[in-house]
Amino acid sequence: MNKAIVMGVMAAVGIVAVGWFWHESRFYDAPTAPAYTVVSEDGRVAGEYRPPQARDILQEDNAEDIIYGMRLLNETSRLLPENVGNGLNCNSCHMAQGKRPLGAPYINTAGDYPKFMPRAQAVLDLTERINGCFRRSMDGRPLADDSKEMAAMKAYIQWLSKDLEPGQRVEIDNMEYFDVAQYTPNSTRGEILYALQCAACHGDNGEGMKDQFGDYIFPPLWGDESFNIGAGMARLSRAAPFIKHNMPLGVSLDAPLGQITLSEQDAVDIAAYFTAKPRPDFADKMHDWPEVSNPADARY
Amino acid sequence: MRGVTRTATALAVVVAAAFAFTQSIPHWFTPKVGAIPELDLHDPELIARGEYFARVANCVACHTAPGGEPFAGGLSMQTPLGAIYSTNITPDTDTGIGSYSYADFERAVRRGIRPDNVPLYPAMPFVSYMIVEDEEIEAMYAYFMSGVEPVVQKNPATTIPWPASMRWPLFLWQLLFAQPREFEPADHRTEQENHGAYLVEGPAHCGSCHTPRGLALQETALADDDTRQFLAGAVLEGWYAKSLRDEGIGLSTWSKEEIVDFLRTGRTDHTAAFGTMTNVIEHSTQYLTDDDLAAIAAYLKTLPSRRTYNDSWQPAEDFTTAQLRDGAFSTPGALIYVQECAACHRLDGMGAPRVFPALAHNSIVFADNPSSLIQVTLAGSRMPDTSHDAMTFAMPAFSHLSNRDLADVLNFIRTGWGNHGSEVTVRDIARMRRLVDNAPQHYVPTPQEAVHE
Repeated sequence: MNKAIVMGVMAAVGIVAVGWFWHESRFYDAPTAPAYTVVSEDGRVAGEYRPPQARDILQEDNAEDIIYGMRLLNETSRLLPENVGNGLNCNSCHMAQGKRPLGAPYINTAGDYPKFMPRAQAVLDLTERINGCFRRSMDGRPLADDSKEMAAMKAYIQWLSKDLEPGQRVEIDNMEYFDVAQYTPNSTRGEILYALQCAACHGDNGEGMKDQFGDYIFPPLWGDESFNIGAGMARLSRAAPFIKHNMPLGVSLDAPLGQITLSEQDAVDIAAYFTAKPRPDFADKMHDWPEVSNPADARY
Repeated sequence: MRGVTRTATALAVVVAAAFAFTQSIPHWFTPKVGAIPELDLHDPELIARGEYFARVANCVACHTAPGGEPFAGGLSMQTPLGAIYSTNITPDTDTGIGSYSYADFERAVRRGIRPDNVPLYPAMPFVSYMIVEDEEIEAMYAYFMSGVEPVVQKNPATTIPWPASMRWPLFLWQLLFAQPREFEPADHRTEQENHGAYLVEGPAHCGSCHTPRGLALQETALADDDTRQFLAGAVLEGWYAKSLRDEGIGLSTWSKEEIVDFLRTGRTDHTAAFGTMTNVIEHSTQYLTDDDLAAIAAYLKTLPSRRTYNDSWQPAEDFTTAQLRDGAFSTPGALIYVQECAACHRLDGMGAPRVFPALAHNSIVFADNPSSLIQVTLAGSRMPDTSHDAMTFAMPAFSHLSNRDLADVLNFIRTGWGNHGSEVTVRDIARMRRLVDNAPQHYVPTPQEAVHE
């Protein structure tokens, strides 16, 4: 009798222990990331897309170029002082390593260029597009077309879409260009919202915040160290959609950057407040929108 | 067969005897106070003082569910056996404590016994509140009876299954671990330090989270003693409430001014509160007077380090900042850091003062127990919302990253910039992921269920 009880108890303990170890050693891991749809040129679904992960870079033959490109996009101002005239980096605007929809991602960039740009009234290739950012958003000078730096930035951008066939596109939006004209911009209200939701990082006077090395943690939003009047971000219709989905960051639990979605009126008011602030001139402004009228929200 | 019957009968007799014995315990061990003070429950000054003491005791944090009515209860607390829920302590007479006499209130707060002679779970820190002074209990009684809005909200039942849900064995727990005691000021401490000790040991009940618990879930020390276990750090719901002793991995890297700044605003130039501490600062310590905060900081800095622990913490040489700025990303950990973390925490690991916490030389990053670092990365967390800063920042949840990615990047962080923390394994991440995924739900009734009086 006693023996049976002892055996029974031991068996039960054994089963529980084995079960526990089995349960515990099972790989309880992250769910598979949701995929974006890939469509081919004729609009048919051609597959799925997930942004490549950081560790995947090491598997690439041109890992060194991709990493250099990643660094240049993250730290443009520090690494390319000859080409950047202010405190901004490519990734000041292109959020989360260019992987975030509605945050100006690079995911479709490699395939989208050459592309017709209304501002230039011409077809621009990727090199020209990147150099447009250097001259405007980064208030500086273009990189040489055949430079190592230009090649590296393109290598990073191409890495993001390395598995796409020519003509294929990932079904994401780069930005939600809502109709800003349906709102009446109230920059007085924008100033109040700026103080509440922006100034903690970008400074009371839009001066940004620097680290111990003098590099910008948070970019300046106006003044000499900010983007010039030729930048897209200096236009209400471009700044408001960016702010709506990307600012402020680090305030919610949502990956990757803790962003929230602002109301369109809030985004318009904040954009109206800071886009109109003093900022560097753009010397080549007379060449923009040739033979067409400049858009209403352009600063020239 | 006869043997089994006999054993079962004997067991039943023992249990019945124990049960009968425990029913006598509240009558002789935890009787109601005899002398009832004369109290004007509508005296605004008394109510205001009670409100302050209730802030120090942080009643509201546990007795309010996220999004629920203040003091109406419903906050779930994880135990190994199931969830228990905090109760409605608004003065509603049916579902709250509106029918409590002063003696009922005093006994519940200090001795953990309900008016119907049922023991409270020790999640209620009555062992700490036991040393709270009479005048503070009296003022709090006035506040809860007259200063708190009554809310009709029934207390949800525990999810602990029967027979573990029976409460009468808790009487025995009380006999063992909740003996009556009073606050003992120490001669070697200044008056300010003793006041801090009173607040920390008593009303502020810091030990509830920060003191390691024993097998019976009792706090292993209720005040600083030779064991040096008081406030030596403990894990609760997967958050590591760090050591608050003046030792290397404790508060040795914190100045008194930083401790005060942290308790008042929820952040310093270097770090920020998260997890459960967010509630403590948001609901309690941000309201404390300068004197009380300074006393708490002064007292904490008197707690000697545990004997086998280092008194101080020195960072190793920082190779990481130069490595990252020079682009030497040869490991997955470094690459993941740059892609996922560096935008806010920066290549120098310094974050941005009062916005994003530093990871370099941050005592929760190099803590001997990495639970908090893992959970805050997996599940994210918010800083306390206080009146001292315009914005409240948050760490987003990175549960979409694989266990391997998270282990690699956390090891990079725990050994970066001169930090020297122990290794985090893939299994550590998996275990925390399961805990986070299975966190109990708080009870917030729908508007139909909870009707204001």
